[in-house]
Amino acid sequence: MTRDIAAVALGLAVAALALSEALGLPIGTLRSPGQGFFPLWLGVLLLALSLVLLAQTLRARAAARPRDDSRIGQVVGLVAALAVYTAVLEAIGYPIATFFLVLYMVKITHPQRWPLALGISLLAAGGSYLLFAVWLKVPLPPGSWRS
Amino acid sequence: MEILSLLGSGFAIALTPENLFYCFVGSLVGTAIGVLPGLGPPATIALLLPVTYGIPATSAVILLAGIFYGAMYGGSTTSILLNIPGEAASVVTCLDGYQMARQGRAGAALAVAAVGSFIAGTIGVLGLMLLAPPLASFALKFGAPENAALLILGLLMVGYLGGASMTKGLMMAAVGLLLGSVGLDPIQGTPRFTYGVFKLSEGFDFVLVAMGLFGIGEVLANVEQKEEPEVITTKIGGLLATREEWKAAAAPMARGSLLGFIIGVLPGGGAIISSFVSYALEKRFSRHPERFGKGAIEGVAAPEAANNGAASSSFIPLLTLGIPGNASIALIFAALLIHGIRPGPLLVAQQPQLFWGLIASMYIGNVMLLVLNLPLIRVWVRLLQVPYGLLAPFIVVFVLVGAYSVNNSAFDVGVAVAFGVIGYGLRKLDFEPAPLVLAMILGPQLEASVRRALIFSRGDVFIFFERPIAAVLMALAVLMLLSPLARWALSRKFWEIVGPVRAEK
Repeated sequence: MTRDIAAVALGLAVAALALSEALGLPIGTLRSPGQGFFPLWLGVLLLALSLVLLAQTLRARAAARPRDDSRIGQVVGLVAALAVYTAVLEAIGYPIATFFLVLYMVKITHPQRWPLALGISLLAAGGSYLLFAVWLKVPLPPGSWRS
Repeated sequence: MEILSLLGSGFAIALTPENLFYCFVGSLVGTAIGVLPGLGPPATIALLLPVTYGIPATSAVILLAGIFYGAMYGGSTTSILLNIPGEAASVVTCLDGYQMARQGRAGAALAVAAVGSFIAGTIGVLGLMLLAPPLASFALKFGAPENAALLILGLLMVGYLGGASMTKGLMMAAVGLLLGSVGLDPIQGTPRFTYGVFKLSEGFDFVLVAMGLFGIGEVLANVEQKEEPEVITTKIGGLLATREEWKAAAAPMARGSLLGFIIGVLPGGGAIISSFVSYALEKRFSRHPERFGKGAIEGVAAPEAANNGAASSSFIPLLTLGIPGNASIALIFAALLIHGIRPGPLLVAQQPQLFWGLIASMYIGNVMLLVLNLPLIRVWVRLLQVPYGLLAPFIVVFVLVGAYSVNNSAFDVGVAVAFGVIGYGLRKLDFEPAPLVLAMILGPQLEASVRRALIFSRGDVFIFFERPIAAVLMALAVLMLLSPLARWALSRKFWEIVGPVRAEK
């Protein structure tokens, strides 16, 4: 129930954004539809669908499936780690950044023993650097500190 | 026999060492991810998209197609041995497959599943080969109104058949169309919704969106699940099914193949639905429906055949109309676009080496998969002992490298991560990402068709209902919109027949 209300709210928010943005563009006419024509109608459609979902949610009596949210902190942590990774990637370089990201994943997200965790981190960072940067010539950032 | 010489030229392409290698890798990776729960075919294809940039288009499609149909083989293994579907199209295989395993007939169930998959996959490729060229030449008659009607029907079907809630499926499709409208307007070529960000003037990169939604999104969703190490106690036993078992499985395999093929052609239909429907039909028309759920071989043979038949036939709308019917096929569509090939009615005529090479490789791939799956079954079972925690970092690394390599920019890595978070949030709200991805890729085409048709008709919206082909397609679309009630009734009926999926262990 609450999930579906959240889904309705999300739909309405995106619809509102689409409508306000589309109205800022030339809509044109049916004879010669402009840039905003298609997004405008999509916004209307999404608005209508969100209202249908709202009606369905209010009518439904069944309780929502219970879900386990106990590891939500781990999800937030991993997202934060990924954000940091993106921010520092070019500065400290792919191999080192990837090593620490993987270490985070195998020590904190899905904890493993230290030897295994270090091994996996080395393998993932070093192996993928060899495979992609050295062998397949993808210009992964080596790190600006090295130049 | 022109078709034989064309097929011969296809085999000449598919049998080059290079393409045999890609076909083998695709089948191998497909089986592996089919076995592994928590990593589906769309995520894997998204992860491997950047790898295909550097290889020829035909090889790329051979590789990615192999992953898609290979997963259908691998998925049955865990369903039968552990009562855990390796991917969604093998959910119903759990019902009778696991019961067979408990009765010491795991080997027989695996053998029937693999052989049924092989027969259906091969029949499916045969149908694809025979049907695609005439359908493509028919589709050449389509103008803008027909294209628009077809795309509308296709998107409706994806929303309709794709998930639990049709409303949510259609909402995702609408959001996908909106995302697809970011960038250059397809008629006037002027930018919109770019907010001055130059990188957005070409729109969101489909590859980044798909890798984020499917790759990172799936990893984040799996982080929430508690890890339960699987202990495999089931004995596989001999791989030989008895003569009676083969006899009982033969007709369901044939029916499953046919049904899977037909459902696979429908956008949004595909492997998952075909496996459910074929199971329900087998049970409904069986003389001993009470045996289903207690280890009936028919309940393994039919759905496993159906999902492979559907995997083959879902290439038909892609290769003839340029409309991908499910998320995996949409990613193969994207791979073709990246290689400068626009799938559509002209593909068979203009890219014969690609079309016939792919067809030939699918015949070869199905044979490889039979060999990979039957004798090597114990190897695949070992793969299940790798905990997800060790697999997840490699999925993430693949996404990050792939995202970076699109334009060699860290900005793109951020875009993929952002779409990963969006994908996770959508899953939490019970939204399926697949309709969004499909709509996003079809959006520019739909907008261009609608606007061209309106300009052509001088603003008369009835152009979509007056020309015969467009009228039929629109009538189907309207019928579909008006029939959620029928769908609800059907699904009730279906669950009455099938009974609870989670049979007691």
